[in-house]
Amino acid sequence: MGASFLSFHYLIRKIFRYLFSFVIILLVVFLLPRMMPGDPIANLVGEDVYLSPQKILELRSAFGLDSPLHEQFFVYCMKLYQLDLGYSFHMHAPVSSLLIDRAAWTLLYIGIAIVCGIIIGVGPGEKAGWESEKWWAHFLSAGAVLISSTPPYLLSLIVLVIFVYHFGWFPLKGFYDTFDITSIIHHLVLPISVLTVFYASRNFLIMRGAVLSEKCQLYPQFVRSLGIPEKDILSGHIRKNAIIPLITLIALDFGFLFSGALFIEIVFSLNGMGSLIYDAILSRDYPVLTGSFLVISVFVIMANILSDILCIVLDPRTGRNE
Amino acid sequence: MVLTAAILACCCLPVMAEEKILRVATTNEVKSPAFIGDYTLGLFNHISNPPLMQMDQNGKLIGLLADHYEVSSDNTQWTFYIKENQFWSDGTPVTGDDVAFSIQMYGKSVPNAGWIGETLTDTAVDGNKVTFTFNKPYTNLALEFTSYSILPRHIWESVENPNEYTSTGPYVGAGPFYLDNVDLNAGKVIFKRNPYWKGTSPAYDAVEISWFKNEDAAAKALESGAMDTYWKYASSYPYAAVDSLKSSGTFEILEKPTSGLTFLGFNLKKEPLSDISFRDAISYAINYQEMVNIATLGYGRVPNRGFIPPAMDGYISTQAMEYNPETAKKKLESAGYKDSNGNGIVEGNDGKDIVLDLLIRNAYSREAELVKEYLEKVGIGVEIRSVEDNTWFELKDTYNYDITLTRTTPWGMLMHANWATGYFDSRRTGQGVLHTVDDPVFLELCDNILATTDTTLLNRYAQDVQNYYADNLPGIPLYWKNDITPYNKKITGWYSNPLYGIMNEFTLTGVKPVA
Amino acid sequence: MKRGRCKRTLQDISLYLCIGVITLFFILAIIPEVFAPFPENKRFIPYMDPDTVHFLGTDDMGYDIFSLLIYAARISLLIGFCAGGFSIFIGTATGLVSGYFRGWIDDLLMALTDIVLIIPKIPAIILISAFLRPSIWILILILGFFSWETTARVVRARTLQMSTSGHVLSARSLGFSSYQILISDIVPVIFPVLLPKFMLTITGAMISEASLSFLGLSDPTMNSWGRMISDAFTHGGFIREMWWWFLPPAICISGAIISFIRIGMVYEKPGQETMVE
Repeated sequence: MGASFLSFHYLIRKIFRYLFSFVIILLVVFLLPRMMPGDPIANLVGEDVYLSPQKILELRSAFGLDSPLHEQFFVYCMKLYQLDLGYSFHMHAPVSSLLIDRAAWTLLYIGIAIVCGIIIGVGPGEKAGWESEKWWAHFLSAGAVLISSTPPYLLSLIVLVIFVYHFGWFPLKGFYDTFDITSIIHHLVLPISVLTVFYASRNFLIMRGAVLSEKCQLYPQFVRSLGIPEKDILSGHIRKNAIIPLITLIALDFGFLFSGALFIEIVFSLNGMGSLIYDAILSRDYPVLTGSFLVISVFVIMANILSDILCIVLDPRTGRNE
Repeated sequence: MVLTAAILACCCLPVMAEEKILRVATTNEVKSPAFIGDYTLGLFNHISNPPLMQMDQNGKLIGLLADHYEVSSDNTQWTFYIKENQFWSDGTPVTGDDVAFSIQMYGKSVPNAGWIGETLTDTAVDGNKVTFTFNKPYTNLALEFTSYSILPRHIWESVENPNEYTSTGPYVGAGPFYLDNVDLNAGKVIFKRNPYWKGTSPAYDAVEISWFKNEDAAAKALESGAMDTYWKYASSYPYAAVDSLKSSGTFEILEKPTSGLTFLGFNLKKEPLSDISFRDAISYAINYQEMVNIATLGYGRVPNRGFIPPAMDGYISTQAMEYNPETAKKKLESAGYKDSNGNGIVEGNDGKDIVLDLLIRNAYSREAELVKEYLEKVGIGVEIRSVEDNTWFELKDTYNYDITLTRTTPWGMLMHANWATGYFDSRRTGQGVLHTVDDPVFLELCDNILATTDTTLLNRYAQDVQNYYADNLPGIPLYWKNDITPYNKKITGWYSNPLYGIMNEFTLTGVKPVA
Repeated sequence: MKRGRCKRTLQDISLYLCIGVITLFFILAIIPEVFAPFPENKRFIPYMDPDTVHFLGTDDMGYDIFSLLIYAARISLLIGFCAGGFSIFIGTATGLVSGYFRGWIDDLLMALTDIVLIIPKIPAIILISAFLRPSIWILILILGFFSWETTARVVRARTLQMSTSGHVLSARSLGFSSYQILISDIVPVIFPVLLPKFMLTITGAMISEASLSFLGLSDPTMNSWGRMISDAFTHGGFIREMWWWFLPPAICISGAIISFIRIGMVYEKPGQETMVE
């Protein structure tokens, strides 16, 4: 396998770094509402929530605001461990159930888009890097650059104007109209397509760039001199190395999945994690904000760790020089 | 041959039994499936759970769940007679107990109805008669009771915290339709026909209200035929989309003046806004015609100093608002606000440049931009602070602004002592009100109005209120507007009232597709 | 041989074209009054179609769209450039210090960059903007703050490499201070890496600014291309199919971004495409 003691050491160091970062985030999320100027109840519960004096007393004891800080932190961590992320007064529901509800749909459309983006982007990107002189390679690269340099919401808006407003082929809002598979597909085609196109062009460019830089290294030429056919060089040697930067990005994609594709959801009026977070920001719904923030951080860290492990497996040299 | 025909007929039958759905587009969004807690659902649930009273198309109060009411001579005791033969969608009859329970529940558990909790002393049920006794006289209780949906006691009495209760449905209702499903993922609320409804049977089997994130999307849905009509609480069809709608040919556009308007409010606790001459000067600085053109695209008119538009009962014609920057500058000077250091901004009594803090909700950014430009032209500096709705509620309640730009709704104009007094009387609280006037003359006027039901007296008071507004300018009306309601030509039977537009029982039971 | 030359000329043409576009935008940003037919605060009849007087018609308040487009160049470019510059500055400084001194400073700084990396950028930027309602300079600070970590990492990697190289070691033994070594020896070498990163952060900042304007969270008095598109979206531009209102700013944004990217690719040899990350 090739992973040696050094790589293992490197991984452990990295994991510690991530844990450290997470603890910092946790502390910030915990301390901020309690330290910020103003009424801590308002900071914890969200602004503009009407609370009767009795309710305020209840909340004070529930949050333990009268006990010392380290005790509060302990209780806070215990609650988190039990997946109790608090209650949102704006949405009249516990934060965790809100997140779970929205997460399912978000996972669906973003997950499909990520997968499609991999299928559509990586293969052609690899080929375009390998045969970078061909006209179609240049053409596709230009296209990919064009798409990557457009703000995501802009592309969604243009797609919306053309296919929904002008032609009327697709619906204006929602994950579905009636809860059946045709309606869901009809509603999700445009959002998934736009997202896929973005992921695919980015994957394409990275893969192409990686293959290009690998191509110029010594080892492919060496292997070629041994008489090994071109496509075996590509699949057997180059691909393994070129894919490494991409793995990190794709892992991050999944990590950030839970922040939802905010702009897609706004333009296509979808009720996913992105709009939940956006609404929470606008209505100062702090429980939802802190809850989703923590969840996203956890997933991103896990994704990072996973990608680090994958990188070590694929290239045992990783981390040796650090 | 006969067999083929029979088979064909059998295939067609299920198609013919397809549900007839009335589709309504709106931009009022439902955020959570809280029947009472969610603001928009609280508007929609009037359909399924009719309140006691409603307004007819001329603005007169008539019964909805209640047939009629009686008031004691001192206006502290109100007796409502519930209509017979009304049933909840689960088959149980509507009784006075339901009404008594609902009103008490609102007073106890719903923050915005706190006034009920504070003033209602007794509720007595006698068959279909419900008598409410208050500890102070109310002359406009019937109006207040157009906004509280009546809930079935046998379902809601076991709910511990009605304001926080969430469920996607179905909810038991007594209207022609009951709320079947709150579908946040599809962005719509579905009402289904109430099987126990004994009134006029609606032509439609279901009503779907779909909300769109912005006006253009809703307008597009209307034009493409995906939606049958448009409704937004206390708002007109978006003016920018009217031309496009007209050219589609499927809609008849009805234009009616409304009592809702947009105005500039003053923090009367601060200088120099407490100075009437200053406010008067400002009133000449605004280009009202341009405001009307830009904000209403011509579907409005320049207002009068009396604030109250002709759409309201009791309207008298006061002097029109005038745009004259020279007069504004002169008035500023003669009131003692001069620009002594030549930097283009006048100074106040403290010698410092006057730069007003203009607080607005995001929706009014265009009007605010214009106001800033107008005021700066006559030498008054303006800084715009644009905040979220909820933040605005908080800030204006704590008087954290100099001037603000906001609107009135038809309901708000009638609230409290009628004629927009609800917005200015310092004793009245509420989400949209400014409560800035504590002038005893004004407060006494409000109290007088609240204490009587004599129409001649009330008309005189109406005049007094408008003259007060014209002389004292607690708020400067920026424009009066007309509500545009699109009527789908393919459907007939539309009925519109000033409070809730087409969202009323007459419409829902009366509309049917044109044959 | 001929194909190689053709390709190079094509590449050169594209480079010059992009430089030209950026220069044009810069000129528009510095002296818009020369090119715009009307001042940006002059109003006409709202919603007019394009004609010979108003090349792109008027918007919902009656402003001439073509003039708005030209004036908006200033804000959009200013934000992009300053945020990019700020980001590069922090990133380079962090990377240099981290890579050169190593040890616990390295770990600490890298942990900090981890945190910035982990934070979901878009929600965080939105969150801060919603709370602060930023003026243009705070916006620049925020946008710059959330994009320095990739620069830091790359700079650190190169600095690590460089710090063990021959002439740096000899400079050290000769007694030059760390600061001098960093500035005179290491920075010039990492410059080819910095330029593309700089371009990338500029484009990132421009995209973020446009996105924030779209959400209505940037300074409402600030007229930028992103804000024009947002106005079109919320004030009837779509239902009236006023493509002349939202497409031109969109083309300007994309055009500027593509041009910046192309310029950033100027140091790239065919085998080393570092732009795309």
